[in-house]
Amino acid sequence: MMDRYTKLQIVGIYACLAIFLTFILLPFFEMFMASLRPLEHLFRSPYQFWSDDFSFDAYKQMWVTVPLLGRYIFNSIYISFMVTGLTMIFVVPAAYAFARLQFPFKNATLGIFLGVNMFTGAVLLIPLYRVLRTLGLLNTYWAMIVPGVAFLIPTGIWLLRSYLEKIPRELEEAAFVDGASRLYTLRRVVLPLATPGLIVVGVAVFIGAYAQQFLFAITFNQTRELQPLPAGLYEFIGYQSVTWNEMMAAALVGVLPVMIIFLFLQKYLVAGLTAGAVKE
Amino acid sequence: MATLDLNAISKSFGSAKVLHDISLAIEDKEFVVFVGPSGCGKSTLLRIIAGLEEATSGLIIIGGEDVSNAHPVDRGISMVFQSYALYPHLSVYENIAFPLRVQKLDAADMDSRVQKAAAILQLTDKLQLKPGQLSGGQRQRVAIGRSIVRNPKVFLFDEPLSNLDAALRGDMRVELSQLHRELDATMVYVTHDQVEAMTMADRIVVLNGGRVEQFGTPMELYHHPATKFVASFIGQPNMNLIPASVAGVDASGVMVELDGGHRMALPVASSTVSMGDKVEVGIRPEHVNMGDSGLDISVNVLERLGGTSITYGTIGNGTRFCAALPGDAAIEEGRNLTLCVAPENCHVFDANGDVLRRQAAPEMVA
Ligand SMILES: Nc1ncnc2c1ncn2[C@@H]1O[C@H](COP(=O)(O)OP(=O)(O)O)[C@@H](O)[C@H]1O
Ligand SMILES: [Mg+2]
Repeated sequence: MMDRYTKLQIVGIYACLAIFLTFILLPFFEMFMASLRPLEHLFRSPYQFWSDDFSFDAYKQMWVTVPLLGRYIFNSIYISFMVTGLTMIFVVPAAYAFARLQFPFKNATLGIFLGVNMFTGAVLLIPLYRVLRTLGLLNTYWAMIVPGVAFLIPTGIWLLRSYLEKIPRELEEAAFVDGASRLYTLRRVVLPLATPGLIVVGVAVFIGAYAQQFLFAITFNQTRELQPLPAGLYEFIGYQSVTWNEMMAAALVGVLPVMIIFLFLQKYLVAGLTAGAVKE
Repeated sequence: MATLDLNAISKSFGSAKVLHDISLAIEDKEFVVFVGPSGCGKSTLLRIIAGLEEATSGLIIIGGEDVSNAHPVDRGISMVFQSYALYPHLSVYENIAFPLRVQKLDAADMDSRVQKAAAILQLTDKLQLKPGQLSGGQRQRVAIGRSIVRNPKVFLFDEPLSNLDAALRGDMRVELSQLHRELDATMVYVTHDQVEAMTMADRIVVLNGGRVEQFGTPMELYHHPATKFVASFIGQPNMNLIPASVAGVDASGVMVELDGGHRMALPVASSTVSMGDKVEVGIRPEHVNMGDSGLDISVNVLERLGGTSITYGTIGNGTRFCAALPGDAAIEEGRNLTLCVAPENCHVFDANGDVLRRQAAPEMVA
């Protein structure tokens, strides 16, 4: 088999993984440590890795300091789910069309989508603001959902299209010969086979939605009750002091639900990323 | 069940013309095989009949009805694909039931039809499995099962056996012939394997470069190949083709001088050739015997198969020649050998590759 390595190679692989993981996980670890420290420890010099007065107090106190914290966490997840759901509704038929149908300007359109991906939302904030104001969507959930969906559709189409293209065409031709309509074939044949791909794309969109909501929230929304967590974290920055420990605790609690979802989806993610095994 | 008529079908992909003016009349309940080398347009023609591909021009008539623009289901065809095209996420039962679910057939009717198809194909105890859990031959049968539940008028098969190993292919050939008899349906079968064509077909269509070379029964093609292409495609081992020139013409046939100087008087239609024309003489390996006078061949390679000895060598100025001789014939590699061949067993092809019809050959056995 291909995956037989020498001892030395295995050591090398694990070393690389360790370095890589350190870079990714160290911030989380430091966040956690900071959330356990009493505030005054954070500024103490020299830096102390461990002390006896570590506690989970920040995890209790944060709900008092920022009373709407629960609401912010809910908003974050709600906005991300809405963005993901809406994006998938648009992406699935579009990606299928790009994967299977022939129509004028198909490649040009795909190219434009790729081009749009190059812009971040930040470049377009002012025009977007005007559009949302005209539509009367400022200071609503939609102000954060609609731009999110718009920016994630191109990525979603690109990801899902390449996945759908791997499904053998003969399966669809067989269904067509047996009288199935395109929609029936999509529902009964293509989408079930594309489930791992759909999950991968869904997760990618969810992450994207989670990451970009901050920008849209602070520019398009002034209603406190509607703010997502990243914007809500600003309330830990008080007039006199910043309660870093509580902020870190809140951030960790905020990403916890997402992490739990990922743990459950992990096996699909791995299956999806190694896909192409649809062909018998 | 129904007849299938193709009327001047042509097909181009962009500027590449892959089918040229193909007309065929296939009879009710006939098993017709399209055979030809890879890339000659067999699949394209089949897909046009199925309605998966649109002909550039021409008509498709099934059971007397013009279906050139009809949906596959309305044509009354069903198709078995080379890759089987089974739905990997559905059970065998659901795979077979798929066309019926599309039709929204009621559950009892559907179940009885699926069970019947499964019984015919010996899949009854496999119905709950997924295609991935089946062997190649079983998958093939599921694909056939899916095509028979709808009771189509015409069955289309695109190289259904090419993914199976040799032994299984032989078994499936027999099963398919049996199925044809049981279902009493019109079947069109595509293959590049002339053995499949010869063994299963009522009639064979030989395609070459998007044109029909010949349409006839297997024995017609064997005894009266219309062109050099058909002659060399049908029959195992392939027919020998020896360059020759016309040394004399009369009403009873032509006198040819083979490469190497051997002269033979062959009883073939002689009206289209004249003295000195270049022709090719076709001799099937199984039509030569060892003798005292005739063709001199120097043997290069000898394959003893038991029943026969396939002998490869050269005659004249290096023209390759193959002979199928008795299993224990006294032959050795590196030796010379004299072979005789009956003049009535020889084929003659003119410079265009068209045959001069043999006059003494067996008339058509049905
Ligand atoms: N969709 C297509 N687009 C362009 N050319 C095609 C297409 N399908 C088939 N061809 C060409 O048509 C010719 C016949 O193909 P095909 O019918 O698949 O041959 P066969 O089944 O006899 O091997 C080939 O030269 C092939 O390259
Ligand atoms: Mg083919």
